[in-house]
Amino acid sequence: MDNFELICPAGTPAALRAAVDAGADAVYLGFRDETNARNFPGLNFTRQDVADAVDYAHARRVEVYVAINTYPQAGNLGPWQKAVDDAARLKVDAVIMADPGLLAYAAKRHPDLRLHLSVQASAANVEAIRLYRDAFGVRRVVLPRVLTVPDIARLNAEIDIETEVFVFGGLCPMAEGRCSLSSYATGLSPNKQGVCSPANHVRYEQRGGALASTLGGFTINVFGEGEQAGYPTLCKGRFVAGAGSGEGPAYLFEEPTSLNAMDLLPELKAAGVRALKIEGRQRGKAYIAAVVRAYREALESFAAGRPVPHIDLQAMVEGGTQTTGAYTRAWR
Amino acid sequence: MRDPDVATSVSEERARRFETGLSRAGLGLVPKLGRRASDALLARLLRLLADRHPRAFEALRELQDARVLIEPVDAPVALLMRVGPELSLHALPRGADGLGEAAADAVVRGPYARLLDLLEGRIDGDALFFRRELAISGDTALILALRNTLDGEDEMDLVADAVSIAGPLARALPVLRRNAGPVLDRIEAARRLLPPPLRRGIERVEARITGALPGTLPGKLPGMGA
Amino acid sequence: MTASLTLGPVLFNWPVDRWRDFYARIADEAPVDTVIVGEVVCFKRAPFFAEAMGEVIERLSAAGKTVWLASPILVGSERERSAMRDLVNADAGLVEANDMGALALLAGRPHAVGPTINVYNEATLGWMAERGAVAVSLPAELPAATVGVLARAGRELGVETEVQVWGRAPLAISARCYHARAHGLHKDGCQFVCGNDPDGMPVTTMDGQPFLTVNGTQTMSHGCLCLAAEMPELVAMGVSRFRLSPQAMDMVRVAEAFRAVLDGRRDGAEVAAELGGSIAAPLVNGFYHDTAGALRVA
Repeated sequence: MDNFELICPAGTPAALRAAVDAGADAVYLGFRDETNARNFPGLNFTRQDVADAVDYAHARRVEVYVAINTYPQAGNLGPWQKAVDDAARLKVDAVIMADPGLLAYAAKRHPDLRLHLSVQASAANVEAIRLYRDAFGVRRVVLPRVLTVPDIARLNAEIDIETEVFVFGGLCPMAEGRCSLSSYATGLSPNKQGVCSPANHVRYEQRGGALASTLGGFTINVFGEGEQAGYPTLCKGRFVAGAGSGEGPAYLFEEPTSLNAMDLLPELKAAGVRALKIEGRQRGKAYIAAVVRAYREALESFAAGRPVPHIDLQAMVEGGTQTTGAYTRAWR
Repeated sequence: MRDPDVATSVSEERARRFETGLSRAGLGLVPKLGRRASDALLARLLRLLADRHPRAFEALRELQDARVLIEPVDAPVALLMRVGPELSLHALPRGADGLGEAAADAVVRGPYARLLDLLEGRIDGDALFFRRELAISGDTALILALRNTLDGEDEMDLVADAVSIAGPLARALPVLRRNAGPVLDRIEAARRLLPPPLRRGIERVEARITGALPGTLPGKLPGMGA
Repeated sequence: MTASLTLGPVLFNWPVDRWRDFYARIADEAPVDTVIVGEVVCFKRAPFFAEAMGEVIERLSAAGKTVWLASPILVGSERERSAMRDLVNADAGLVEANDMGALALLAGRPHAVGPTINVYNEATLGWMAERGAVAVSLPAELPAATVGVLARAGRELGVETEVQVWGRAPLAISARCYHARAHGLHKDGCQFVCGNDPDGMPVTTMDGQPFLTVNGTQTMSHGCLCLAAEMPELVAMGVSRFRLSPQAMDMVRVAEAFRAVLDGRRDGAEVAAELGGSIAAPLVNGFYHDTAGALRVA
């Protein structure tokens, strides 16, 4: 049986080199604009950066995927179509997309370009996945983080394209690509602008010893003195549920926690998963190097039939806690 | 919470602490040069950095015109960085009249050592917000853009770069880095042995090693151990 | 195409008697043209409504309403998947697909596309039209400029476009149940606590500011989306369907008010002002005006 492929994030050329050197099989990245779902200030790749990235990665037998996974703006399809054209011209190994209209364009214009379905398409069932395969020739689907491992196993038994799942990093508790929470608070959304809880709507406010974080004027969290703070990603905030319930504020949607599915490698293999994805194009090169190296080591042990070492990634995870997320039923 | 790669061996950690102290003291001297001379010096530093890190500097110039106040709480001087087409750097006496803050779109405040980590792209984007060591106010996106841009460089060594425009120190730095561990070891051993009044004397010695004598220009820092 | 009013599916977990009575009154009194029925949020709730479904459809049809069936928003598990297949195969009328899986099964026969399927541009709209979509309800977060382009493209393609003009906006869907979580329960043993909140569970910030509404696995806005004042502009753009999303309030009155605006008998802004007092939430229209959805732009 083939080994898992390890798919790693890069927000900058330095991070790409770090991921390649640390043992990635493929690195995914985005152009420096609204065509990708991590359109953060100071991040991402110019066309020349992508050309250099492809040279660097291919020389080391590592693949490069380009995420063009926002939903093109009506009346302004040009930038997205050009991103697809450029990705093909730059000889990247796959493009990761979500929008049916754009997938249709890519399939027609660039029949040899390998298409992956982004998690932003949130294709969570056999019928949906087959649709993208039949209509556009999609070869791999990145599964939304709403499925349990048994769900994934059943799904793989019925589809004939590859599946890729997230194993490490930030965790969306909502079905990806189907969430307007950010745009409700700020007007900017993952689907339209490629941003979630964008920094230009974030403010930190000192309140005596406490620190409040706000997004679009809504208080997302208040950290007590000495408490570890966090970025105000909307769904990772503390809120009060129920009017007059007397309940205190709580992490209603999700704790500030990171996904780490390293303990589930045997189950994911048995479920027929082809590729494992690490989240975090917004993270630093040092973080990426450490996480990729840890996963490479784990995968090598696993492939050799040795027990998967318990690698301490505690220092890397948001809020210092880890979860196996939706892969286990208890998360629901 | 530093990135694991940064939290390296003990001796490197100590060397880092040493040069952090050194550069902090050097920074303290910059405004003493007078506005014109200090601006000229910082402009020279920026040009050098732009030569060594062209991608990052092009990216900083592509940002919208904005000012970030970088304020070390443990140093006498703050830096006001203007990003965008008019990229520039100014040193201001810290907290003198709040002028710097009024002119800034964003302020990042914290211990000098952490700010240096930030400027050298050593702090992870998310970790920046977990820790409470750095306080961010104003335009969070601007700080994030700055961090992301600097993290995109393979290796930034601002201390070495800064020192290389400061005359004799350029030659002294590698030696200083090699010797930092032993020198600090000796100081710490001495500190433990001494009664409190003398400890203060040691602190002055330490300040002289990691810092400089008041009124001395960075270019004329005594070449300790060199 | 003449403009028409649609009543979206009830998104909340109402007791089945209330649900049945609600539709009986809609059938008798509400001047809406199309009524979409079905449990789209949580498959665990569906069995409660199943017993009354036939009766409701019949009653609405007898009153001259066009009835469409809505497919579930999130289809991951085998149970959700078989429920989706059963619905599509039921042959009980036009189906509104709310997930790409249902859309796949409906290929080649006329169907509607619901607001939780991502239609953001004319290329996607065209692709859907080719596959048999006759009406597309646009996602709530789309701004006016996008709605305009899509409405125009829709007219050329023969696809009706629909915009939600009343009711809390659906913002997110999850495999996790936040209603259960807030009550310290697991989704599998949820005790149907969502049934305690017929208009959803309010979510406020730590500073006491009302913010969101939890409806089981769905997260909605706290603000009530209202585009009554924008209706003439929407009509001029070529939008032909206007969706009212049920809240626990007098929806007949809401339907009458929007009908009056659509018929040119009443001013939209005046209707918005009047309806604003009838729901315990601010009226919002920020998405349409290309700003934060929580805002109200005058």
